[in-house]
Amino acid sequence: MNMADVVVKKMVDEVFIESFEIEPAKLVPGANIFIDLGLDSLDIVDLVVALQKKFKIQIRSDERLRNIRTLGDIYAFIEALKTEGSDLKTKD
Amino acid sequence: MKKTFLISYSLLFYFLFFVFTLVFIPLMFLGVAATRLFLGQRRAMERFRRAINHYGWVIINLLPLGLIRVNYKDLETGDRRPPFIFVANHRAASDPFLMASLPYECIQVVNVWPFKLPIFGNLAALAGYLNVRRLPFEEFRSRAVKLLSQGVSIIVFPEGTRSGSKVMGQFHGAIFRVALETGAPIAPICLMGNERTPAKGSFIMEPALIRVHKLAALRKDQYQTFSPFKLKNHVRDLIAGYIAATEVQ
Repeated sequence: MNMADVVVKKMVDEVFIESFEIEPAKLVPGANIFIDLGLDSLDIVDLVVALQKKFKIQIRSDERLRNIRTLGDIYAFIEALKTEGSDLKTKD
Repeated sequence: MKKTFLISYSLLFYFLFFVFTLVFIPLMFLGVAATRLFLGQRRAMERFRRAINHYGWVIINLLPLGLIRVNYKDLETGDRRPPFIFVANHRAASDPFLMASLPYECIQVVNVWPFKLPIFGNLAALAGYLNVRRLPFEEFRSRAVKLLSQGVSIIVFPEGTRSGSKVMGQFHGAIFRVALETGAPIAPICLMGNERTPAKGSFIMEPALIRVHKLAALRKDQYQTFSPFKLKNHVRDLIAGYIAATEVQ
C-alpha cells in the first residue's frame, strides 16, 4: 500500500469513527459494513454524505456503490476515484 | 415419547388456534363495523387494535393450556402514558403475539410476508401496520409520525428477522430516526424463553416459561443528541445487556 492509499484508508476510517463512533479496532478491510459494523441502508446514505464531505467529491450517483460490502471495498472505491482523476481531496 | 407428546401438543394447539381464529375474527370485524357507525373512524380504529390485542392475549395465555406461560413485567418507573416506541428483540414466530402483553393501543412494524398471510395480512393492513420493506422511508416516517401524534404506540423488531437463538442480530435504524424526529419515549422490550415456541424452521411448540420484560423507557432528553446509528446500538445494548444478566440467573 503506497502513501496515498494509506491516507485514503486513514480518512475513510476517520469517517466511521467520527460519524458512527465505531471503535478503530473494528475497522479492518475485511469487515462487512452491514454485518460486522452494523450499518443499514439508511446509514449508508449518511455514510455517503460523510465521505462526500470528507473527500470533497460527489459519489452519490455512482453505480459502484451498490457493490460495496466491506470496508476494503470502500477503500478500493475511493482509491479508484483517485486513479480516475476525480478532484479528490486527500489532505485534511 | 417426548417427541410424540410435543407433536400431539402442537397439533392440539394449532387446532385450538384455528378454531378460535375462525370464531373470533368475524365477531371482531362485526363489532368494529358496528363501532364505526356510532363512534367514528379514530375510535373504531382504537377498538379494532385493542380487539387484535385481546385476540393475541388469548392465544398466548389461554390456548397453550398452561404448558406455555407468559410472564409480563413492566419495569417502567416514570410516565406510563402513551405513545411509546416499543423496540423488541426477535427470536421466534410467536413474538408478534407476545406483544399482546402490552396494555396499549399499538401497531406493529412488519416485514413483507405477514401481509401476505390470509386473515392476518388483512388484519395487519386494516389496523394500519407499517410494511417497512414496501414503504419508502419518507412514507414510513410520515405514517409513523402521524400514528404517534394520535397516541398510538409502535412496536418494532429492528433485527428484521427471527434470530432463532439467544444471539441478537444487528438493528435496522428506520424507527430510531422517527424517534429522533418526534422525541417519543423508546421502551426496550426483552423477549426471553421463546426461542423454541416454535423454533426457527419448525412448527413444534415446546412448553416454556416466556418472559416479556418492558424496560424503563429512554426519554427524549436522554437520547436527543445521539445519531440514529448510535441510538439504535444503544437500545440494542440495553436489551442485550438485560437479557444476558437475566438469562444467567
